[in-house]
Amino acid sequence: MIIDIARVAKGCKIKLPDLITRPVGRKLYAAVLEKLSFAGKGETVLLDFEGIKVIDSSCVDELLVKLIHESWEKDFYIKLRNISAISEINIDSVFNSYSNYKEKRIAVVRDELGVNNKYYIGPLSEAERDIIDYLKINHRANVYDISSFSGMESGMAAEITDGLASIRVLKKENGDFISI
Amino acid sequence: MSGTGMKAVVVPDRMRDPYTFESILSLNDEILKSGVIDMSRVDFIEPYSMVSLLLMGRNYLRQKGEKARIVNLPAHLAQYLQRMDFFKEGVFTVPETAVAGAALKRSSASRRLIEITGIPNKERQSIEVISSVIALFRKKAPVILKFWMTDPVVDFFVTVISELCQNIFEHSLDTGYLALQTYRSGNENIARLVISDSGIGIMKSFAGRPDIVYGSGAELVEMALTQPISSKREFGYGLCQVNSIAERLRGILFIRSESSSLTALYNRKDKTGKYMFHRNGLAYFGGTQISISLSA
Repeated sequence: MIIDIARVAKGCKIKLPDLITRPVGRKLYAAVLEKLSFAGKGETVLLDFEGIKVIDSSCVDELLVKLIHESWEKDFYIKLRNISAISEINIDSVFNSYSNYKEKRIAVVRDELGVNNKYYIGPLSEAERDIIDYLKINHRANVYDISSFSGMESGMAAEITDGLASIRVLKKENGDFISI
Repeated sequence: MSGTGMKAVVVPDRMRDPYTFESILSLNDEILKSGVIDMSRVDFIEPYSMVSLLLMGRNYLRQKGEKARIVNLPAHLAQYLQRMDFFKEGVFTVPETAVAGAALKRSSASRRLIEITGIPNKERQSIEVISSVIALFRKKAPVILKFWMTDPVVDFFVTVISELCQNIFEHSLDTGYLALQTYRSGNENIARLVISDSGIGIMKSFAGRPDIVYGSGAELVEMALTQPISSKREFGYGLCQVNSIAERLRGILFIRSESSSLTALYNRKDKTGKYMFHRNGLAYFGGTQISISLSA
């Protein structure tokens, strides 16, 4: 499912190109949630931010963090597209603070390579980054593939990939790992 | 009439930057007693001083129920204050020089500034104002940020405006003001964004969080800038984000709250030595006043 955030925002009478403040985030969240009722189990929901320049931290907190929680509960995956440089910084900062305070990490994958030179936003380790990059290219792999690519012991590779699957930045299907 | 018969407080020519304005704030009690400010010695006012002066006048109006007076205001300053909508706020009685200055036409080409804009403390109205200010800023950014102009810089400023204005209605329990201007000082071009209120201030705002331990007011301000702490929520992002943007832009961040201030000179960070300066024990002035400056 692709959700054009700018279109949803216009539908909510939110002034563009910036998504700022908590009430705007809450309004958008409610509108996106309505659309998500049509998403299938395990489906990837692509949130396209084309035409959006700034998403501030309040809006990230009210929209993206809540959607990520929703994805954990309702079993779907989130991927971002067309995230501006400043929005990437704001999202990263919120996810870092969240992960520090809640002791549960949050991260989200994205369609294009960001200013951070990564295909995701959030506090992941270098080893985790390598696995996401590997899957981005190879799309699907099992633990042994990942282990031989990274040089990690398979137990360690399994632990890391399972961790990434648990925060829903990759999918696990019949023992294989799939990029979002 | 307000202040009639009261001796005017003659303020020094110390409205050139947030640090020198401390001299004026140290006269706050006298000004609150007198209600008359003699500006004859002042030659220059920058945006932070202007907004702080407005807050001082507003405090007087709230305490005494009448407007404070500005006397002996030099004509060029009257024109400037008129241009920045200083008297539109209805806090001061309009001095004669300003009335005369009103005859001057406002140049529609003057895109180097955003006039004083009130930030309401009610969420709904505040959001409307923030959206309008940001729309106006985006329109004027090519001129305001002429010396720093890139798309990311504009977006950085949009984030800062949004975060700081939201802090007013979320934390200060009061209304506030925003002003933005690019001006020349000596050989330097300065872009200064000011967002200030005279609400409850950072220390009082954190009074309900005994788990957050700090030594001095300035130390708490630094914690709010560098750690995602919040007085209302489990954790917050706003001031940290503002601080990291100021650092990226190699700007100067000045925050004053109650009797403390913090200055972060990110333009000097790569040189060895200190770049963050605390001051405590300053003259008490309620609320939080913030200035972010870029220089070129």
